[in-house]
Amino acid sequence: MSRSPSPHGGWSSPGLNTSYDNGGRHSPYVKGSSSHNVTWASAQARSAEVKGYPGFTPRNQGFFGKHFRRISTSLPFTHGDKEKLGRGRPPANKMMQLLTHIGRTLWRLRKIVALVLLVLLIPMLRNSNTALRRTWRRSPWLGGGSKYVVILAANQGGGVMEWKGPREWAIERDSVKNKKKYTRNWGYDLEIVDMSTKKRYAHEWRESWEKVDTIRNAMRKYPHAEWFWWLDTNTFIMEPTYSIQNHIFNQIRDVTYRDINIYNPLNITHPLTDEYLDPETRSLVGDGKIDSVNMLVPQDCGGFNLGSFLVRRSVWTDRLLDIWWDPVAYEQKHMEWEHKEQDAFEYMYQNQPWIRPHVAFIQQRQIMSFPPGACGEKGDDPNIHYQEKDRDFLVNMAGCEWGRDCWGEMYKYRQLSNHLNRTYWEKFKDGLSDFFTRKVKKEDKKKN
Amino acid sequence: MHFAMPPRKTSRPPPYAARNQSGRIAIPPALRNLLRTRAGQLLVAGVTCVFLLIWLLSGGGTSSTRAAKVGGWTAASIPKVAVGTGPPVVVVTVIDPQADPAWIDKIRNNREEYAKRHGYQTFFPTPSQYPLKSSPTSWSRVPAIRHAIALYPGCTFIWYLDATALIMNPSIPLHTSVLAPPKLESLMISNAPVVPPDSVIKTFSNLKGDRIDFIVTQDKDGLAPSSFVIRNGEWAKFFLDAWFDPIYRSYNFQKAETHALEHIVQWHGTILAKLAIVPQNILNAYASGPASDTNGSFNEGDLVANFPGCDRDARDCFKEQHAYWEILEQGGK
Repeated sequence: MSRSPSPHGGWSSPGLNTSYDNGGRHSPYVKGSSSHNVTWASAQARSAEVKGYPGFTPRNQGFFGKHFRRISTSLPFTHGDKEKLGRGRPPANKMMQLLTHIGRTLWRLRKIVALVLLVLLIPMLRNSNTALRRTWRRSPWLGGGSKYVVILAANQGGGVMEWKGPREWAIERDSVKNKKKYTRNWGYDLEIVDMSTKKRYAHEWRESWEKVDTIRNAMRKYPHAEWFWWLDTNTFIMEPTYSIQNHIFNQIRDVTYRDINIYNPLNITHPLTDEYLDPETRSLVGDGKIDSVNMLVPQDCGGFNLGSFLVRRSVWTDRLLDIWWDPVAYEQKHMEWEHKEQDAFEYMYQNQPWIRPHVAFIQQRQIMSFPPGACGEKGDDPNIHYQEKDRDFLVNMAGCEWGRDCWGEMYKYRQLSNHLNRTYWEKFKDGLSDFFTRKVKKEDKKKN
Repeated sequence: MHFAMPPRKTSRPPPYAARNQSGRIAIPPALRNLLRTRAGQLLVAGVTCVFLLIWLLSGGGTSSTRAAKVGGWTAASIPKVAVGTGPPVVVVTVIDPQADPAWIDKIRNNREEYAKRHGYQTFFPTPSQYPLKSSPTSWSRVPAIRHAIALYPGCTFIWYLDATALIMNPSIPLHTSVLAPPKLESLMISNAPVVPPDSVIKTFSNLKGDRIDFIVTQDKDGLAPSSFVIRNGEWAKFFLDAWFDPIYRSYNFQKAETHALEHIVQWHGTILAKLAIVPQNILNAYASGPASDTNGSFNEGDLVANFPGCDRDARDCFKEQHAYWEILEQGGK
């Protein structure tokens, strides 16, 4: 009977091995030896697979465990009063000694060193804080930022239709910068899409109907995101300190309405009354649960506005994106549907009952305030236009390319946003300079 | 028990006993001792406080100052009936009230007997119940199915059967012999052109029976929506509403709802992905008319004998079906 098991020689003695292994002692082979007729190699492979017990576990495997002793012993110590300190205590308390030593040295060097250390430490903490904050805000179980994707349409109408001038470039640059900063701060994803008109489809039917394809591509690109927020180029986030979660989703029942009669510029008949429909479809608010909201659309004075809207990844959305563009509808309506997807969606909302229970309308100023010039020259409609004192979230300069000054508006709102969101230090500085300029003016007046 | 030799020592020594119990964080002893002292605890508390302070000061972001309360919707009290709690199949036949009343009675009886035998339900609406506007009455089948779903929200399947068809073999229970997933998988024709002879759009070849929501047959000309089955659920609502969209009804498809169906099936992947085409004689064997060459004509034992178009023009369903009624009555006796 061979007493030396050789791993290479195909050693196979299940009987012997089993009797040993079941002998009461805890051995790494217990799991592998339950079936008979195992070869050495197979048993070893299986036990390696199980990994319940690694073959050899040295203690203190982590970095700190490995190096702690070395670090702590290599540091300078004063051993003068070891006897006094160590009395009645475990002798291995080196860390405490180290700390008391550091403390004593600091005390000796007085507060100058402490101050220098503090000055060095604060920016470090601040930096680590922003990085920490970003991971915090992004992580799906804490801030949840990675659940949101902002889709920004760039280059709208560019390409074959018209050339971009310096103003258009500037608008785009500002708009993109604004969203980049916002999404970075809150840990969202930003997807900038090129919407330049291309002859992408052989039949040229679907020209500039790419919203649907774009959203679908974004859904594929960010497989873990839940909500996709579409934004046109001519938008500016005025309040970057508002998160989508706090601003919309935490108060979704209050800032949205599912009963379109609350604001109904298109005069859509709601709810549906046809008796062949089920009660949920005929209900004013669908089933009234938050989970059933798959799309958030604002309405302006002319009806639905898809310049800034949110869709949620769901089976429903998948179907909507699929049915949204249809050649038969396109053939019949493309002359009439000036706003393409937007008109098509209005049409579907009215004519396909399955859509209604899953759409909620969001109060326009909650997500997309208009500047004066859109929906009224004066800009004084409290339901539509930007109000500085209410600190509206976002401005959509819709239609500014038709006879208004896009760049002027963009510039104005960018400056306003910067002004409103000054830091305390900037406010203090501005306050000081205001104070002095006023004084100087007064003195000038007196002199005159 | 005694052994000749003491048990052999293992060639692989058992792992060293871990100093810490597994599952606990390994803290170096020096650090642990430090944590036991008051100073150490104070230090840890201080560091925690600093981080807490930083977190508090950095803030969770200001929420919007203006929470315009426009909505305030709450959960509606709509009884939610789980699919599958009702009858397994609801047989829907749209009946034209202007047709021969004797024939209508027979058709109704034919469905009702079949339904009673297997625990199904029947539903016989008329086209005037639905807002068809100026579109052909044959469109009424679409809202009729939606109506049946509203009436029997717990049912699993809706079987739409044209009034021109007779159930010839009532002993076949639809929900087990056709619609059970394994059965359906063996029946469905995969990778076949949706519209016969040469449509480039083909049925998917990797579908599972329990994911199929729409079972239909093909005759010689294309899809034959004179007898088809839809699984109750959200998809059914989507599909029926999309099919019934006024834009298709006003488009002047040559064959109205049939061509509209062929259109949406071929253009929209979410519909094609739920479609299964089964051999024609399983659901919709033709006793007359343009049957599929391979398996379309009625043979004895088939579930259904259809006389497509017998209610149109100057034809008389009652007369055409006469021989079949006799067979049915003999079988009944």
